[in-house]
Amino acid sequence: MTESPAHRAGPDESADLLEVEGLTVTFPTTRGPVDVVRDNTFTLRNNETLGIVGESGSGKSMTALAVMGLLPRGARTSGSIRFRGTELLGRPDAELRRLRGNAMSMVFQDPLSSLNPYYTVGLQIAEVYRCHRGGSRRAARRMAIDALGRVGIPDPAERVDRYPHQFSGGQRQRIMIAMALICEPALLIADEPTTALDVTVQSQILELLAELKRQTGTGMLFITHDLAVIATIAQRVLVMRDGEQLEYADTERVFSAPRHPYTRMLLESIPRIDDELAAPGVVSPTARPARPTDPAPAQEEVR
Amino acid sequence: MLRYVAGRLSWVLVILLAVCVFTYVIFFQLSPDPAVMICGKTCTPERIDTIRTSLGLDRPFLQQLGDFLRGIVAGRDYGSGANLVHCPAPCLGYSFQSGQSVWEMVLERLPVSVTVAVGAAVLWLLGGVTIGLLSGVKEGTWWDRSTMALALGGSSIPPYVLALALQYLLVVKWQVLPFPAAIPFGDDPVAWFQSYLMPWIVLAIGYACLYARMTRANVIDTLAENFMRTARAKGLGPVLILRRHALRPALTPIVTIFGMDFAGLLGGALITETVFGLNGVGKMASDAIAKNDQPVIMAVTLLAAFFVVIGNVVVDLLYTALDPRVRTTAS
Amino acid sequence: MTGSRGSQADAPPLLRARDLTKRFTTRGGGGPLGRKSVFTAVDSVSFEVFPHETLALVGESGSGKSTTARLVAKLMEATDGTIEFAGRDVTHARGTDLARFRNDVQVVFQDPFSSLNPRHTVERILTAPLVYQGLPIPGGRRAFAGELMERVGLNPDHLHRYPAQFSGGQAQRIGIARALAVGPKLVICDEAVSALDVSVQAQVMDLLLRLQRESGFSYLFIAHDLAVVRRISHRIAVMKQGVIVESGPCAEVFERPRDPYTRTLLAAIPRIDPEWDRRRREGAAEHASITASPEELP
Repeated sequence: MTESPAHRAGPDESADLLEVEGLTVTFPTTRGPVDVVRDNTFTLRNNETLGIVGESGSGKSMTALAVMGLLPRGARTSGSIRFRGTELLGRPDAELRRLRGNAMSMVFQDPLSSLNPYYTVGLQIAEVYRCHRGGSRRAARRMAIDALGRVGIPDPAERVDRYPHQFSGGQRQRIMIAMALICEPALLIADEPTTALDVTVQSQILELLAELKRQTGTGMLFITHDLAVIATIAQRVLVMRDGEQLEYADTERVFSAPRHPYTRMLLESIPRIDDELAAPGVVSPTARPARPTDPAPAQEEVR
Repeated sequence: MLRYVAGRLSWVLVILLAVCVFTYVIFFQLSPDPAVMICGKTCTPERIDTIRTSLGLDRPFLQQLGDFLRGIVAGRDYGSGANLVHCPAPCLGYSFQSGQSVWEMVLERLPVSVTVAVGAAVLWLLGGVTIGLLSGVKEGTWWDRSTMALALGGSSIPPYVLALALQYLLVVKWQVLPFPAAIPFGDDPVAWFQSYLMPWIVLAIGYACLYARMTRANVIDTLAENFMRTARAKGLGPVLILRRHALRPALTPIVTIFGMDFAGLLGGALITETVFGLNGVGKMASDAIAKNDQPVIMAVTLLAAFFVVIGNVVVDLLYTALDPRVRTTAS
Repeated sequence: MTGSRGSQADAPPLLRARDLTKRFTTRGGGGPLGRKSVFTAVDSVSFEVFPHETLALVGESGSGKSTTARLVAKLMEATDGTIEFAGRDVTHARGTDLARFRNDVQVVFQDPFSSLNPRHTVERILTAPLVYQGLPIPGGRRAFAGELMERVGLNPDHLHRYPAQFSGGQAQRIGIARALAVGPKLVICDEAVSALDVSVQAQVMDLLLRLQRESGFSYLFIAHDLAVVRRISHRIAVMKQGVIVESGPCAEVFERPRDPYTRTLLAAIPRIDPEWDRRRREGAAEHASITASPEELP
């Protein structure tokens, strides 16, 4: 696991894992073209987790799909997406296909609908491996069993032949993760991977992702609407609204000294269980008066 | 699984019994008096009474129904003494028109209807589903638009118009086919095939148009599924994605509809058989209705119901084989 | 208003559910020979909702919380148990008794778009509850609906729009306005804010709190998220697999959870470093004293 496999060695070892520059995604509509992502620029370093946060319609998922080359038909992109130093935009789909599921892979929000109900999970995991690495069915199946075991599915040798609906929601997401990681990608994009899950299951999945990332050194782009989740998993945060990047900094900086009023508002909107309890119907966090505190201590320096 | 099949079959019996009772009430109790009809023009009250007695029409309704049901299962006797006629099981009575055993009539006609149905089904499945698949995958292209326009037009042409047009073109004008005639397969397979070709085409075109549109809609729905996006995210090639991930989800619902359509046709393709003069169950039904031949109408209705109910069960069992989600709840 | 907590022992409860049970029976194999299997979604659940009070029913998927809400709203018949409303047994209420109950108890659902008729204007949606009951509309349709719109913070000029012309948060406000049209005593919110973006969610919660202050009805608030209900509820009941495992005053459940499951739920909520919060608030105080208030936010 520690040895970087040959396929991961990119053309430019010194380059950052993912460099996105001036990315704009445009959709044609009946009322003319609409930019769902406008001039987005960010960098994902090796071994790092970058969180992209935004509410619905912020363009966070479209940014992820653009990186994967999975935008819906009709979408136009401009700018630059460099993966390990190589430009991805404008490359033919057949070339991107060799990267997808292999050097970069993606986990989606709703694991049940993201898995094909007609095939066993073993087949669906194994086909990724066979597609990119070839080898016999039997070997790929063994890989699938291993992968299921690594993501914490009990009894993987037996459950490899089950169908998606026979697993719980959390297990299905574990299966999706196993599928995404089977070729040991350099980049994992997780698009709201815990949003459809119960909160207890969410914490388990977040732990699993953090653990697998620690083992493999995969860089992760974590997309969510939930700032509290970001706080637990990402080193750096990018805040988006209406297709635009509003803030992009270390997680600690964004949480302790948000620059943009929108970020501040988002932070104040998070339902909390750890601050002082307001009596119901009396104080709301959005309307919470600024505390008349002692003079603010050392403001952190401007970056 | 066995328990499931047994459960389904037990329902089949219940439904068939209900259909028997229902059709019996409609055709024997609510229609004109059969005895009067059999008696014909030179009729005396005594004669009507005799017929009544021999048919058991003088007995209370429930007993008549019981006789009828017993006749299907175990056979029954009509009349008494020297006039006694034994009708072996499955006894569906005798035609008022020809006096022939209705069961024998059915046995005679059924192969024709089955031949018509099977041939048409092969044609419309091959044609309709293939066109639908291509149109679904190439949604919005000229191929999609033109085939779907044709399909819409094709499904709105009445079969008898189509039949006449085809007969005129193929038989009269271009003379590529002989006029349809009942030729047994054993006598001359080529002539047999030629004689059935037109009925097959006429019957298949309506269904093919319908199936093309259904298949297209299913393919488009399937392509929009989240798991198709997953398949692309895995880096699979377009052919593998279509062949493995799209085909089965898109075609499974077609199986259900096909099962029902095909089962319905086994009970006779009324219009096609009549137009082409094929002596199938459908033609038998239309003749019987025209002449109010109640035992025959009754038999045709029961037969159609039987095929539909059995078709339903077969479809459900097929579905359990095709869709793993159904499989686990069934077993 | 907030001082008059229903949990005071002398006030009679508005709603009392006793040993509510819901079993679903499915036939395994189909047909008369099919094996029956019974699933108990709600198992002897008892609770009370007092006037002016908010009771939150919290649980993960499959806990039976939504089924319980449906039973209480009489959208579903309970297999067992009784429901008392304002001192009357309404478990088997029919006819006018049921109509009165439906007037007093209103439901706000999770997905506003699927619970509002897309082909009706907002005015028609808001007046429908009265129209269906043949009641007079005080002040006329337009004035009545317009006033409801204002109460939930929407522009009354938009009365002739259709649900699809509103955002998710606005549509949920319409759903709330519809519930208010008949002047209910109890409003059941079935995951009413779960599908909304966080910023919108906070605003809708504010609205729910304000409406309760103004009108004094009770809430039965169904949610899967403990953090969300903390702000709004006086008491909390935690459900798991059809059973209430713990209930008590809000602060007590959060500060001294007794049941291990409640503790698991609380522990699973992602935390933000309190130090970050402290620094942000201090920064905000400083910021606020210098520049304009954050109300200018779009």
